[in-house]
This record gives sequence, C-alpha cells and structure tokens, in this order.
Amino acid sequence: MIAQLRIDDRLIHGQVALVWTKELDTPGIVVANDNAASNEMVQMTLKMATPTGKKLLIRSVDEAIKVFNNPKGKGMRMFALTNNVADALKIAQNVDDIDGINVANVGRFADNSEGETHQVGSTLMLSDSELAALKELVKLDTPVFQQVVPSNQKASIASMLKNK
Amino acid sequence: MNKILIASHGHLASGIQSSLDILTGLGKEVSVIDAYVDDRDYTKDIKTFVEDLHGKTGVIFTDLLGGSVNQKVMLEVAQQKNIFVITGTNLAIVLSVALSTDSVTKESLQELIAASQVQLVEVSHDDTNLSDDSFLE
Repeated sequence: MIAQLRIDDRLIHGQVALVWTKELDTPGIVVANDNAASNEMVQMTLKMATPTGKKLLIRSVDEAIKVFNNPKGKGMRMFALTNNVADALKIAQNVDDIDGINVANVGRFADNSEGETHQVGSTLMLSDSELAALKELVKLDTPVFQQVVPSNQKASIASMLKNK
Repeated sequence: MNKILIASHGHLASGIQSSLDILTGLGKEVSVIDAYVDDRDYTKDIKTFVEDLHGKTGVIFTDLLGGSVNQKVMLEVAQQKNIFVITGTNLAIVLSVALSTDSVTKESLQELIAASQVQLVEVSHDDTNLSDDSFLE
C-alpha cells in the first residue's frame, strides 16, 4: 500500500530522505518517473539520496503502477514519489490503496515551455496542463493536501485551488 | 526534540538554522549565536542557553576546535555534565541530532557523528537495481 504519494520536483532529497521516511515509517521508496527509469546518472543521484536501510525502486510510471497493484505489496508501507502532477494523477487513477497525496513542491525546475505559470501557495508553480491535472486529482476520493515538512499543518489543495 | 545551540564565527550558525528550517521546519527550535558580526558579548547568550536547560540534556555545536567561540563555550559548560559540545559542525550532524527522537547520550552522539562525516563523492557505477520481487519482499 502507498502510505503517501508525494509530488516533489526534487524527488528524493533532504526533506524526503531524512524527514518523511522517518515520519511515515516506510521501508520502501518508489520513484515513479520515466526519465529516472531510463537515466543512469539520475538513478545514481537517487541512490545516493536514499537513507541507509531503506529500499529504493526506480520505475517508469506505468511499471510503478504494476508494483503498487502487486498483491505482494499489500502489507508493505511504500512511499511513492513523482515529480509532476500528471504522473501522480495517473497513479491515483490506477491504484486503489493510497492513504494520501501530498502535493509538496512543483514547477521550480520545469522548462515552462507552456508559457505563464499559475502560482498556488508558495511552492507550487503550475503550467496550464499541471493545473488541469491537479483539479482532476482533487476530485478523487483520496485526501489531497500540501505538507512540505511534517511540522507544517496539512493544507487542503481543494481550498488552495479556489478561484484558480 | 533535544535542546540545541549552534555557535559560530559569523553567520554560519544562522545559516545552518536556515538550512535546517528549509529541510525540516525546525529552524525556530534551535538557538544560534553568530559571534563577531557585531559588538555583542555573546558569552551572555551561552549562559542563557545553559540556564534555560535547568539541568536537562543539551547539545552545543561550535564551528572550530580551539576557535574562540569553542573556547568560550567550553568555559561556560565545564561544570555542566548535562551538556555535550560538538565541534567541526556540519549540516548533517545538526540534522541528525535535531531529528533524533531520543534524548542523546555520549554513545548515541558518537554514532550520529560517525555517520555525518565530510566525504569525497565520486561517480559510482552502482547498477544494482532491485527487481520488483526483491523490493516487495
């Protein structure tokens, strides 16, 4: 089961590796990202960022969905990461067992080829298509919130999206 | 959380506090002394930290062994068995202590310090990727 699906354009980094894996008590981290799944340098940096004692799996989004739906993983608390909203939406639409979706950091490293971005809160800079994906995401049954670090309060994404 | 004071020459201490805050949101939970950026006698701030502990465990991080900041700290805590002083401070060790849920001991600090060393990072060709099955085991 996915203890948390986190959208974070930095994938595994300090906030995630040190703080969240401890907070969520997740022995397994799954990076669901097509680029990472095919890029050895990115895989190297992700392995470097993985805390000692945690298992890391790097898969394309489609392959990751198969892992999340594998009956063998039912009892395993997994921390799932994507670096964009569209990938997270695809996972959420195809996986039932997700406790919560944390829209943490989005858009800082995006190429902005779609033009102007929509600022939602202080850490989300969304293109038109990412904003549309986020609006779809909050329609699902799974709780969708923002909590960059555990000491922050959870903020509802639905209320952050009002008037957007 | 363990009570923490970070003391440095210049803005390293508040800089580490800023990094800690971005990574964990715990920046406000630590005390800092940026020594020599103004005329302030910062030994008062060390004393205040020590007094506020009321005998409970605390950790003071300093920047350089033998530096004046470290010397002033040592003079203030010489009689205090409840305070640990760590020098050669880096972000990794401050994070480890700040995130440690148990009250630190000499032994636990030595373990955290051993895992927080500066190191040379080289490109490694570790191509050991887990299979789905071994991940889900």
